[in-house]
Amino acid sequence: MKWLALCFAVVFSFFLADFLMGEPRVPELAPGPIPFDHALHGDSIGLDCAACHTGSRASANAYMPSKADCMDCHRLPLSETADAEAQDSEFAKIDEHPWSHKRHLPDHVVFHHGVHAAAGVSCADCHGKGYMQNRYGAELFNMQSCLKCHRGETFKEKGFKPAATYCAACHR
Amino acid sequence: MGMDRREFIKSCSLVAVMGLLYGCRKSAVLGDIASQLSVPELKRFEDEVRLAMSQAKKTLDLVKVPTPCALKIPGASTLNRFGMAIDLDACDGCGKCILACNLENNVPLVPDEDAARGRFMHWVELRGNAPFMCAHCGNAPCERVCPTGAANHTPDGLSAMMYKRCTGSRFCGANCPVQARKFNFNDAQKLGLARQFNREVPLRDKGVMEKCSLCLHRLQNDRLAFKTKLSVAATPEDAEWRGRGVKTACAEACPHKAIVFGNWLDEKSPLVQQTKDRILYAPRELAALDPSVVFMRGSR
Repeated sequence: MKWLALCFAVVFSFFLADFLMGEPRVPELAPGPIPFDHALHGDSIGLDCAACHTGSRASANAYMPSKADCMDCHRLPLSETADAEAQDSEFAKIDEHPWSHKRHLPDHVVFHHGVHAAAGVSCADCHGKGYMQNRYGAELFNMQSCLKCHRGETFKEKGFKPAATYCAACHR
Repeated sequence: MGMDRREFIKSCSLVAVMGLLYGCRKSAVLGDIASQLSVPELKRFEDEVRLAMSQAKKTLDLVKVPTPCALKIPGASTLNRFGMAIDLDACDGCGKCILACNLENNVPLVPDEDAARGRFMHWVELRGNAPFMCAHCGNAPCERVCPTGAANHTPDGLSAMMYKRCTGSRFCGANCPVQARKFNFNDAQKLGLARQFNREVPLRDKGVMEKCSLCLHRLQNDRLAFKTKLSVAATPEDAEWRGRGVKTACAEACPHKAIVFGNWLDEKSPLVQQTKDRILYAPRELAALDPSVVFMRGSR
């Protein structure tokens, strides 16, 4: 009985340690310093994703906007309401890079946003409408979902060109 | 029941504490202390290259081979087959290519006992006073025997190595007739023997094979950039990616331009142009395996 109890205690404590301190598979989006809302900044005002995520059309990394990107629009008062002045003082307080984007993909994976945009894949095809709820959709991504489209099994109606399926196309 | 309740609770909590400490071994505080100790300086890499050169094999048994043409594997590209030619008349065995490759690909150092026995991780070695690396054989004996498919061939002629798929059987390394492959017997990062000079190339784990990749990362970046540009092709010929302008790290580093990288199937490639009137050679053991990396000497 003593040994059984000891074994149980060991196993239990490892599980407990993993639960408390183990890294989640996909890092969750932290709310961040700024209460940014995608719904206010998207199609409703005719803003394309690339206006803020400047790399999403032509670069590998889509990038998170820097303060300068925000100020491109927000340096002018965007509305006549009383909120506008309060907003200006808030903007003065934020860092140059309010969002740090740690790459979620492992080192050996190559994902190039520009190639996909050039092939006609729209932002919502992969990131879904979830971005409107301020989540980037990471729970949708795994190698199988990439391969299914590359093999032509999904998105058939969009008629994408056949994409590379050999390992070295996307892995280093 | 030998234990009383008090002892039981004591041992449970002790084990729980040990578990918690184990669980946070990678946390900010404990992790930082570990990583500060671990980055080796450049000089150690340079010294190791010099040591390897001093122990290098002095002979290289070469036979004549025909100019490589399109790969004979299913799905092979008819436009691209990347390879290299090493000019034995120009090479003086200086070894700058070896250091350049090591820094470009984050090749780890090896522990002293291995270095003393001449067991290095370098992808390029000197043999017969010339640089020697994986020949990216069209009919590769290593790819045939990989149990997981980690060693495979790309349509454009590279013998690719997928580290995350490798389970460390070392069958590929055993089957290579010229021992071009290197195995990570050690956890280089943990031993403080690895350094990520180049962020474009991942560091390899313990237990995987590695070898010359013909600078796959440079080829990938070039291909991705090409496919992203608004391609209003001047001629139909320009509409496809041919890898023009890409050079491997070793080819770039050679002061005598003895290493020529290019595309065997592209008339405009420097590789095709510079090998046109030279005699091509390959190691005797590889001649029948359709190597993409050859040596050249003399003129036709």
